[in-house]
Amino acid sequence: MERILRSKEMAEIRLLPIRHHSPACAFHVEQVIQSWKPSIILIEGPDNANSLIPIMVHSETKAPFAIYYSYHDTTGQISEEKGYYKCYYPFLDYSPELAALKEGNRQEIPTAFIDLPYGDILAASKEGKGLLKEEEKNNYNDDYLLSRNDYIRQLCEKTGLRNFDEFWEKYFELNGLNQESDRWFSNLLIYCRLARENTSEEELKEEGCLARESYMAASILERIEKREQTGEVYRVLVVTGGFHTPALQKLLEEGSKKEHRKKVSSGDQGVYLMPYSMQATDALNGYASGMPFPEFYQRIWEGIAEGTPYHRAVLDLIVSSGKETRKKEGFLSTYDEICACQMAEGLALLRGKQEPGAYELLDAVLSSYVKGEYNLATDLPIRILKKQMQGKRMGKLCEDANVPPIIHDFESWCKKFGLKTRSTLETETTLSIFSNSRHRQISMFFYRMVFLGTAFAKKVKGPNLQLKRDKNLMREIWSYKWSVQVHAALIDVSVQGATIEEAANSLVKEELKKEMGAGKSALLLTQVFEMGLKEQLFLVYDQVYERILKDTDFYSIAEALKSFMMMEELGSLYETELKFGLLLSVSVQKLIQLLPSMTQIKEEDLVPCMEALKLLYQITGHKRAKEGEFLTEKESYFEALEQMILDTQIQAGLNGCIHGILYGGGREGLDQVEQVCQGYLTGTAEQRKKTALFFRGLFYTARDLIFIGGQFLDRLDDFFGKIGEEEFMELLPELRMAFAYFTPRETDRIAEMAAGLHGKKKEEMLEMAEVLPEWYTYGKEIDQWIQSKMQEKQ
Amino acid sequence: MEQKKLIKPPVEIRYREELEALKAADTGRVPENWKMSPKAVRTFILGSSKPVVYQDKEYKIEKKYFGNDALIERCIVTLAGNRGLMLVGEPGTAKTMLSELLSAAISGVSTNTIQGTAGTTEDMIKYSWNYALLLANGPSREALVPAPLYVGMEKGILTRFEEITRTPVEIQDSLISVLSDKVLNVPELGDEGFLFAKPGFNVIGTANTRDKGVNEMSSALKRRFNFETVMPVREVSMEKQIILNEVTKLAQESHIEMSADEDVAELLASTYHELREGISSYGHRIDKPAAVMSTAEAVSVYYQTMITGYYYGEERMSVDCLVQSLLGAVAKENRDDLEKVKGYFNTVIRDKSNKEGGLWKEYYEARKWLK
Repeated sequence: MERILRSKEMAEIRLLPIRHHSPACAFHVEQVIQSWKPSIILIEGPDNANSLIPIMVHSETKAPFAIYYSYHDTTGQISEEKGYYKCYYPFLDYSPELAALKEGNRQEIPTAFIDLPYGDILAASKEGKGLLKEEEKNNYNDDYLLSRNDYIRQLCEKTGLRNFDEFWEKYFELNGLNQESDRWFSNLLIYCRLARENTSEEELKEEGCLARESYMAASILERIEKREQTGEVYRVLVVTGGFHTPALQKLLEEGSKKEHRKKVSSGDQGVYLMPYSMQATDALNGYASGMPFPEFYQRIWEGIAEGTPYHRAVLDLIVSSGKETRKKEGFLSTYDEICACQMAEGLALLRGKQEPGAYELLDAVLSSYVKGEYNLATDLPIRILKKQMQGKRMGKLCEDANVPPIIHDFESWCKKFGLKTRSTLETETTLSIFSNSRHRQISMFFYRMVFLGTAFAKKVKGPNLQLKRDKNLMREIWSYKWSVQVHAALIDVSVQGATIEEAANSLVKEELKKEMGAGKSALLLTQVFEMGLKEQLFLVYDQVYERILKDTDFYSIAEALKSFMMMEELGSLYETELKFGLLLSVSVQKLIQLLPSMTQIKEEDLVPCMEALKLLYQITGHKRAKEGEFLTEKESYFEALEQMILDTQIQAGLNGCIHGILYGGGREGLDQVEQVCQGYLTGTAEQRKKTALFFRGLFYTARDLIFIGGQFLDRLDDFFGKIGEEEFMELLPELRMAFAYFTPRETDRIAEMAAGLHGKKKEEMLEMAEVLPEWYTYGKEIDQWIQSKMQEKQ
Repeated sequence: MEQKKLIKPPVEIRYREELEALKAADTGRVPENWKMSPKAVRTFILGSSKPVVYQDKEYKIEKKYFGNDALIERCIVTLAGNRGLMLVGEPGTAKTMLSELLSAAISGVSTNTIQGTAGTTEDMIKYSWNYALLLANGPSREALVPAPLYVGMEKGILTRFEEITRTPVEIQDSLISVLSDKVLNVPELGDEGFLFAKPGFNVIGTANTRDKGVNEMSSALKRRFNFETVMPVREVSMEKQIILNEVTKLAQESHIEMSADEDVAELLASTYHELREGISSYGHRIDKPAAVMSTAEAVSVYYQTMITGYYYGEERMSVDCLVQSLLGAVAKENRDDLEKVKGYFNTVIRDKSNKEGGLWKEYYEARKWLK
């Protein structure tokens, strides 16, 4: 622990290096506060969160919770994109910062955060570095600084420990709980100094560390200067991530006041507390920000006062994971649990640890519970254990916690619609969206909540525009459930706007910035359509138009076209004035342009391709076409098809499909189709095998052909006569697909016709002669008699 | 007396000095009938950077097992406990070597071994009789011929059971009562026929995952073992190191005065590694051959190439010869494997030869032998 005396100001500064989330560290921080009795406690953390401290230490607030920082870059300080930024600062009971805040509260010592506000940290970081890293969730904790360097890798190798977390557990947790606090902190500081020496200055600058440190140092000095003079020595306890301690010490000794100016306006920044879960804390551990297995260490923290917390936590988890394994797999005995305990203890001894820790626990369960080779089929005990070590606890905030405006908006909507938000039971509600405008409003609200990723509502039944299913349904059934997570998720999107609608709007805009093809963008349009975001509809519409022009993926455009068709059909029901004519015609044109290049598709692409062809046929032959629209498109569509079949290497199924369309459009006679069909039937061996595929395509678009000409069945029958059984079996799957397009009645008719070809009636084919019971008994008797005769002979 | 030359001396002879030195320097607590403390066993297998001084001589304890250190620790703790240790894994992942190292360090002998085969019978495991004595004197301890399990219990040492899943299930099951009650009953000897196991006795079994289903172990027997799955080496650099170590040792034992070529070892290590994992270091997707692509196989391919070079060549490793040996090792069971290896050369090795040149180029050119 580093002490800096500033005799001029009669102040003493003590720098406590910490690691975020560590039971031993939190314990020693408490010890130091109790023994040293500081005048003020300053903690690493953006200082715009200072107003939250009373709520954080409130007796009703339960960890885990997180400080949520958001920033909307309206002035383009960070990049020209003027985006939205957010990050989390999770706290567990054993986070040293929280321990310091709580201990300060107990002893009535003032506490404060001293780091740069979130927006300024962003402004001080380089793109893609530090908090500007492209992560799904950014974490304010910067423990990764302690574990990512080459030095720690070598250290682990040398000590025979598998990673930084195990190293930390052995030297700082297990063997550190009983150490003197001073000694514990000085050990940590040595480690931190070495870690810092192995990190380049440039990296520190890019990640905004240097800016933060100079701001923190300046804040500390400022606090000392501005304090009330009481004549007593002013004791300042500074609790920061260990990585920053050496730098802070240097800055404070130099007394430099190079304050990092705040550049970012505070109006664009948001800071709220949100309830958090153990899972989320653990998930944030991707970059070693804090320790893994939060529930395991929570138990350690709770057990410190009673001594040997690890022994008890390990034993508890061996038993509880054993119990669950037994429930699920049923083979585990108490003796297995005894062996696991022995293993954990033995490993701790062998590895020189005072008590078995998380890694001994994992090893013990692996060794004693997993029977047979360790693989996906047998690793259940380990999965159960890891889940239990992660825990399921959810945090809770006290009533006074300030919430962002979006939550007020959410609650007022719920009140308006009569939706229950105080019960956590799932409620189902049925909405007649097309006949009742209030119901449509509720549905829009639900869709928006889904779009914001809040897990509040779930559609159980109803038209699914995104998958283009159940379009005939007139009602939607939704189930909704309020939970703490809904609040957490809303806080999470609060940076995007003050109301649900605003947040949904800005999220749509964000989505539009992403790279996506015509299909995806049309899907977004569908979502906007469902959410009833009228403002956005036109904007997205324009974007989709541009994306179609740029896209060259046939299937993606076909997918988009399908969505437009559907929205146009349903537009009047959803009360939108949007006209889809332009989008329809541009995608039709684009598809026709791309058609000639589609002849040699892969087999798995056959179905979407055939669907697209059929769709085009429907649109160009639609009633609109009669009104004069799509006339030129229709012509070029058929021309494109005619050009396609000139390619002799065309995929057989597609070939069949096109011939069917051309026949249906009156561009081709029956005899022409038959000729092509004959070509496959009498082709060389490889081509002959494609016959079934050809029929599949043909029947997809023109299944009536089989009844009209009468020739097809003859030919097919002839063909079956010629090929061997093996070849037939090979063709069978495709043939089944080909005949799957017929209705049962049609299949019956085909069967009848086929039977006729062999001089039989339909009934004769379907019926099988009955075996009379007497015959069966007689046969059995003969069997037995022969058997007995044979035995006699032997 | 001049020591007899052996093709492959057992571990306790090969590392006699290291073991002696470790024993002398051991300060840890030693379980009853063990030759050294668990910590010393760990050091023997995983090596240590500090040399051990014994009789004024420094012994460097080299790392003998590469891979998972935690696994070794679990094995040692298991053996000190009440349950047997079962090592399972793909062929050629050094399961047998590990079991030899453990027995040599813990009991001082690695030869108290049952070799599991389809023809293994119960008397090869427990005991049989010297029939001349049996007929002359009737059943007595003198007439009894102890088998490895009996020896292990009597002396308080480890019994190794190799390839346990190759033996019929009913034979495997004869271990059940011994492992749980630690007593073996010889009914012929009457009241004196109870052999109670001495402390220090335990069983290390090895089983091959490719044999799964041949004679799957009964769950009753499984319950009496702690299982450890030995995984193939995950890093090419480590695999290369293993090849070099093993080949150097083999060469010394056969008095071949030729040093191992590091670059060739790397070539072979990455070939085996990539064919086993199904993906190259450049990201090519590779068809995996059905043959076992273990490190042990790589060692034997390398060694074969070395011998050929030593006796028939110019005392250097020839890449042509390497490819020929590789062919022999891979195309054992299945003709398709040859095609897969050819495919591997025509994609991955081609790209590597273009990019890295040198030996890789030579390697690529040697693909002509793959036929």
